[in-house]
Amino acid sequence: MTNVSFDNILINFGFGTKEEKKEILRENPNKTVLMELSCYDPAEFYTEFPQLHGSFAALFCDEEKKIEIHFKQMNQAALNKFIELGFKPFETTIISCGFIFPRTIVQIINEAYFALEEEVASKEDINRAMKFGVNYPKGPFEWSQGKEKFVLTLLNELYQKTQDKRYLAASLLKTAAVS
Amino acid sequence: MNLQRIVVIGAGTMGSGIAQWFTQQMCFVELVDNSPEQLQNALNSIHASWDKLVEKEKLSSCQVNQMKKLLEVKSLEQVSSNTDLVIEAIIENLEIKKELFHKLDKHFAPHTILSSNTSSFPITLMSEAVSNERKARFVGLHFFNPATLMKLVEVIKGEKTDEKLCNDLYAWFESKDKKPALCKDSAGFIVNRVARNFYGEPLRIVENEDENKVKEVDQILKVVGGFKMGPFELMDLIGIDVNYSVTCSVWEAYKREPRFAPHKLQKQMVDEKRFGRKSKRGFYKYD
Repeated sequence: MTNVSFDNILINFGFGTKEEKKEILRENPNKTVLMELSCYDPAEFYTEFPQLHGSFAALFCDEEKKIEIHFKQMNQAALNKFIELGFKPFETTIISCGFIFPRTIVQIINEAYFALEEEVASKEDINRAMKFGVNYPKGPFEWSQGKEKFVLTLLNELYQKTQDKRYLAASLLKTAAVS
Repeated sequence: MNLQRIVVIGAGTMGSGIAQWFTQQMCFVELVDNSPEQLQNALNSIHASWDKLVEKEKLSSCQVNQMKKLLEVKSLEQVSSNTDLVIEAIIENLEIKKELFHKLDKHFAPHTILSSNTSSFPITLMSEAVSNERKARFVGLHFFNPATLMKLVEVIKGEKTDEKLCNDLYAWFESKDKKPALCKDSAGFIVNRVARNFYGEPLRIVENEDENKVKEVDQILKVVGGFKMGPFELMDLIGIDVNYSVTCSVWEAYKREPRFAPHKLQKQMVDEKRFGRKSKRGFYKYD
């Protein structure tokens, strides 16, 4: 499910590059668009594309289908469509690059990769420590499994936006992102 | 490995929790503290906790009577030297800990494992206080609060710690339904390092103390992220001063690596003595 279209509304669910995302918006200037933007800064997209009425973060969405959603302009029909598709959208008013949940989790994942790189512990023990020491619902590597490329994309985006070295990615994460 | 006789030094929250957990495994436990009053309070509180568990039918009165006999409170001088494992859980002060370990090394039999529940000091550095022979049997055992409920024990291998000893401890804890994690002797070990950005990143998302933003971040991380507590309510519970101090200590240990840098809001709140729940003012108000 990459795109869902109805009543001149387009909901884009894909995890593309920034350019691919912008291209979809360029191709749909007259539609009301809601777009998955976990790895990017919604503010940048809102400025450039007035037809973008809202954005959401589904990068770490699991079987519970809970997503973080931001409306620049509230669109009840779109919100209803998410619910109809089985999602549980939770509205946020904060516009932040990487939203709230993905941005926090990628930093935890990145640190777990640094620890792995320095051979502090195995992947299994790092997962176990975070779940049973501080009650995390998942271990960092369970969150990142199969999503390393997007974790890296968001970290790179945060670094580009802020120039803060806290967002530089661990080498092992970079390797995992291309493998 | 068969751990039967345990000594826990320090009858504060962590020490008494650790002593309680080991006793519940039917080990003979001697709980040690400099303060007889602290010891008595710890013993009363452990007994009260067991009595409650009997009321809730989680333990039988027969089991609790047996456990009460297995737990003794003592001064260090009264403790038997023939002990399998010693766990230090005293104040986080390196010099005081090293002085204690020097004494413990002399007091206990050569087979005794010496361990520390420290969350901040390198195990290898602490092991400087003991003989070369003991260094192989010197290990970090980091429990999490409350020790009777939290399943994780970080088993930390110092430079000279015998690898087999760490593996045996790992297996022993696993056999007792704990969830051990083996880790290298590095600052923050696993949890206190990897968890830093659960606080650091939300602080950078809100940037200032906007109460609505704070609530919203907590809410999203609980509802969408599945965390039991949001970062701001957790900082208020832990103590903003305590959390800030751990952040600074990890940041310094990693030579001020930007990933661990404290946020200006943390320092500001500590300077203003807004420590969270305990001072009734933190990210939230507690009146």
